[in-house]
This record gives sequence, structure tokens and C-alpha cells, in this order.
Amino acid sequence: MAHRILIIDDEDDIREVAALSLETVAGWEVQMANSGAQGLARAIEHQPDAILLDVMMPGMDGPTTFRELRKNPATARIPVLLLTAKVQATDQRAFADLGVEAVLFKPFDPLTLSTQIANVLGWN
Amino acid sequence: MDASEQANLTEALDRMWVQFLPQMRERVATLETAAAAFTAGRLSLEQHVAANAAAHKLAGILGTFNLTRGTVLARELEIMYSRDDGPDPALAERLTEIAAELHSIVENRK
Repeated sequence: MAHRILIIDDEDDIREVAALSLETVAGWEVQMANSGAQGLARAIEHQPDAILLDVMMPGMDGPTTFRELRKNPATARIPVLLLTAKVQATDQRAFADLGVEAVLFKPFDPLTLSTQIANVLGWN
Repeated sequence: MDASEQANLTEALDRMWVQFLPQMRERVATLETAAAAFTAGRLSLEQHVAANAAAHKLAGILGTFNLTRGTVLARELEIMYSRDDGPDPALAERLTEIAAELHSIVENRK
């Protein structure tokens, strides 16, 4: 059965390219959300196998969304990978300290994004 | 992934580039406007914040479309605009140069 991924990102170009990549290269089923609040609702409704979560979003940002996901028993165990264009070491340490499965970086390679995710989650 | 599937992905990415080109252009225009305003000594807070966001977004997406040089340049701009008090005045010319090169990169992607 295909893995199911939820992409939460306010930038439609990033969302669409990531979805294309994961669907085409890996054959995964992709759901999308354009905000933290919409992402929380979709995660509860669809129970994805993993969530790819943008860091910088207006309103509820990635770290806040992650904490909300962890607070809710319906989503607390879903693995979350952060996706960020921040490359400074201080940012990276702060993100890693949140307790996410991994921090992935933008720009990503559409050919290898699914492999990166699969490696982190042991889906190989 | 075989060569045929890879070619299909590349074609799909090219279609997405066309789809999202207007917002790439809009981000570059934001950077060009901010650079001109900064050079003229009248960069507003709104322009400063918008330029920082545009640079961040371009840094995060251009490399995905194989425009690695674009990501490097946008990241350089993001660092300059991330200062609370605005870019170093000595870098005004560099802001303009980078915005112009980003314009060229976005317009000339094959």
C-alpha cells in the first residue's frame, strides 16, 4: 500500500512541486494544506503516515503546528519532518531540539526528496 | 526511476515553472524595487520586510528548478535584509546587482 504524506506549506510552488515529486517518484499519496491550522485539521481527518511541515508560515508557524500535533492524541504519533530554507546552525539546532524526525532543507531535489524521507522513516 | 519516468518528471517540472513564473517575477520585482529604494535612501519598513520574505522564498525554490545560482544569490540577499536596521549602506550596489542577476536567471530559464 502506498505511503500517505501530508505536506503543510503556505507557498503553493513548494507544495505543488513536493507533491509532484512524491507522487511521481515514489508513488505515494499526497494531501496538502496551506497553513498550520488547515494542516492540523487534515492530519486529524486523514491520519497520514508522515507529515512534511514548513517552518516559516504566517499565523501558526511550523514549530507551533508541530507542538499542536504532539498535544493531540489523534496526531501525536505521526512522524513529522520539518522543511526549511533556514540554513544557519543556530536555527538548525533549535529545530532539531523540537523532537521532529528530521530537518530537511529547501531547495530540495525533486528526484531525491522521497528517498530522503524514506531513509529517515525506515521506509526502504 | 528509469530514464522515461525521469523525463516525464522533468517535463512536469517545466510545466510547473511556467505555472509559477508570475510569482517568481513578482518576488524579483519586489527585490528590484527594494534595491532601488535603498539606493535612493528611502527603503520603507514595508519594503524591507517584503524584500526579506521575497529573498527567503526565492532561496527556497529556485534550486528545486535547477537554478542553484539563483538560490545562492537569493540567500545572500536574505542575509543582507535580515538585519533589523536594514542592509549595510555600503552594500547598496550589491543589492542592485543581485536583483538584476536574479531577474536574468528567472527570465532565462530554459
